[in-house]
Amino acid sequence: MTRPSRSRRRRFATALACGLLLVGCSAGAGDSAAASSTLRYAAVGTPATATNDPHGGFANESDLVRFALTYDALTVPGEDGETRPRLATSWTPDASLTRWTIQLRDDAAFADGRPVRAADVLYSLRRVDAKAAENFGRMAVFDLDASRVTGAHALELVTVKPYAVVGQALEGATFVVPEGSDDFSSPVPGSGPFRQVDGDPGAALLERNEEWWGPAPPVERIEVRAVPDPQARADAVLSGQADLAGGVAPATARQADESGSAELITRPAGVMYPFVMRLDTAPFDDPRVRSAVRLAADRQVLLDTVFLGYGQLGNDLITPRDPSSPGGLPQRTRDLERARGLLAEAGYPDGVDVTLHTTTSYPGMEAAATVFAEQLAAIGMRARVEVAPPDTYFVDVFAQEPFYVGFFGGIPFLDVVRVSLAADSPTNETAWRRPDWEAALDAALATADEGQRRAQLGELQRVLRDEGGYVVWAVGDDLKLAAPGVSGVPTGPGFNAVFLDQVRLER
Amino acid sequence: MVPALVTATARTGGLLLAASVGVFAATGFLPGDAAQARTGGRASAAQLAELRAGAGLDRPAWLRYWDWLTGLLRGDAGTSLVSDRPVVDLVAQRLPATVILAAVALALTVPLMFALGGLAARGPRILRPATAAVVVAGAAVPQVVLAAGLVALLSGLLGWLPPVSLLPVGASPLTAPELLVLPALSLALPSAAYGAALLRGAIGDAAQRPHVADAALRGVPPMRLAARHLLPFVLAPATRVLAVVAGALIAATTVVETLFGYAGLGELLVAAIATRDVPVVQCVALLAAAVVLAGLLVADLVAAATDERRVSTP
Repeated sequence: MTRPSRSRRRRFATALACGLLLVGCSAGAGDSAAASSTLRYAAVGTPATATNDPHGGFANESDLVRFALTYDALTVPGEDGETRPRLATSWTPDASLTRWTIQLRDDAAFADGRPVRAADVLYSLRRVDAKAAENFGRMAVFDLDASRVTGAHALELVTVKPYAVVGQALEGATFVVPEGSDDFSSPVPGSGPFRQVDGDPGAALLERNEEWWGPAPPVERIEVRAVPDPQARADAVLSGQADLAGGVAPATARQADESGSAELITRPAGVMYPFVMRLDTAPFDDPRVRSAVRLAADRQVLLDTVFLGYGQLGNDLITPRDPSSPGGLPQRTRDLERARGLLAEAGYPDGVDVTLHTTTSYPGMEAAATVFAEQLAAIGMRARVEVAPPDTYFVDVFAQEPFYVGFFGGIPFLDVVRVSLAADSPTNETAWRRPDWEAALDAALATADEGQRRAQLGELQRVLRDEGGYVVWAVGDDLKLAAPGVSGVPTGPGFNAVFLDQVRLER
Repeated sequence: MVPALVTATARTGGLLLAASVGVFAATGFLPGDAAQARTGGRASAAQLAELRAGAGLDRPAWLRYWDWLTGLLRGDAGTSLVSDRPVVDLVAQRLPATVILAAVALALTVPLMFALGGLAARGPRILRPATAAVVVAGAAVPQVVLAAGLVALLSGLLGWLPPVSLLPVGASPLTAPELLVLPALSLALPSAAYGAALLRGAIGDAAQRPHVADAALRGVPPMRLAARHLLPFVLAPATRVLAVVAGALIAATTVVETLFGYAGLGELLVAAIATRDVPVVQCVALLAAAVVLAGLLVADLVAAATDERRVSTP
């Protein structure tokens, strides 16, 4: 229990008294010289749920960005989606692909001066694992009890089965805290490129860590703020209260882009609202019905209506930007005749009534459902659109209802597998349970040769595209607005986009 | 006077307790809980059960309420079920922002309310219908619509003020007073109109009294007439109206703060309800209830104090 200190209270009372006199005669914040080297980022997030714990779920992009700036992660994805070293300099398997030697940098240090050791890393990974319920079992592939520290800056990680892509499994969210840290009611020291010097999790001011081992960040300070409303984030940039805004709605983006008042930064395949069908529920238990639904989609109309053209046509591939996504597949297009035929073959010659659930969590989700319901009518599928409130959608509808508008934020294929395609995942939303597919997945992950493994993973994605429960009609761009002078904003897949330490600001 | 004070204070305490039970029950009736909000719907039943046990959410509601109440009496408002941060920290961080916003809004509301109410009841005859129309319309327009209109006019068209109010990090809102203007206006204008609508009748009634007409005939100047002959009769109803208006204004901060991205208690309450973060909801709601009830208590006491005079005045 902490109480506001007496001095804080007195300061507040004085401020209040002065304020009442002063308000109206605008004093202005005053642009000091220091302000010019502060990058102000209005991120997606709700200040009330902002947290200091870097090992749970990342409900707020603002939290994730702050953690990526203040902590070191083991590896990071590059702009091309390939794994790059960060705190870990190398990761080398034994012949069985189940024992991995992770070598760490020896020149990283926490803000309090202590060196970052292998023990800190293992402690942090175990803590992520202990919070599996909140982070969708991010460490599920590791047996961390069997893993051990082998040197001051080396550890051995054991996987539960042969797993050739451990570097990828350690990407992004493996934030390292000092061993033994268990009170996260205030930030614990990190070893990242920035340090938090003021503010709170909802709005934090970070200052460049001059001792950081990596390339010196171009800006001295970064302000990361959680702003819940998309319009407010965009307005913040347009009115000069922020330099960069995340999660901008397509309509706002187009307006700003056309007026030239701010620069639009697009991250391809960052937003996806697939239509989700459950394979264990009629009528979607019949593969012909699922194919008919996919063939009923007029993808261009959906892309233009929902994302206002900011994106690419979907080919029902769940992770088109993953390096293992198969290329060369023909674009799926609308074929009403075939769709009607398939529906009739499946035993629905007179059509079928279904309910398509959606919500207003993300801009355009509702439009996606209403437009698609009209398109489905053309093949005799009478879809009633039901809109659920955002705060219960991911509990009552997500992974429950047989037909709804889902959401993916551009995560890699193996993350989609862990969250949504593993037979035992609580959020296996399409009820995808295929022992042959899982066996092929295990075989792919036990393949050391990268080219061969990618081909195998690509084939798994092709099967899912044709036989699974997803209609990926388009992949939208994740849109950011930047004030003039901002450059170097990362636009790669997955966790790549949350590492803002090399963003530049020139005014 | 003293017995009135005791009973009024006791009643306020009882109402506060009732409010805390009401808020607790209302939050409990919402579908879902903090464990589900925290895991984003992506946890298994076993994981959810474990999280609930860890947070004590598996115990009966009355026991959770009792623990919360006894904790509060010991000075412990608990920790957030979503972010694990102490509730006191969360509230203390945002309290100044909301107090300042509400204070500025009230400081604008009060004179405006009296001016509009007085003008509608006693102003130049030609202005009365127009003022009355403004008052009724102003009281009827929802905050959201008014705020959008103000933003479109003062920010979009004229470019005088920022359309959002992101508070400076780690500093008081007063270091950037321009950020307060639109939220404060959005709160004050409907409140003043609503208050004026309520006050208009009281001023009209008081003005009908014979001694007022008498004073006017004697040539007492209008300002003096208002202060000496009208105010004493309007004071009690005005305090009540003010208490009601202040309560409505505090409630409206939830909408206005969210609209302007102003990180105060209202925005905290909205988000905490959405994530079923009961300890945070309880603390913020109770704080707001305490302020409203304290306002009504003061109004009651003023009414009691002015009552005798009203009885003794012919």
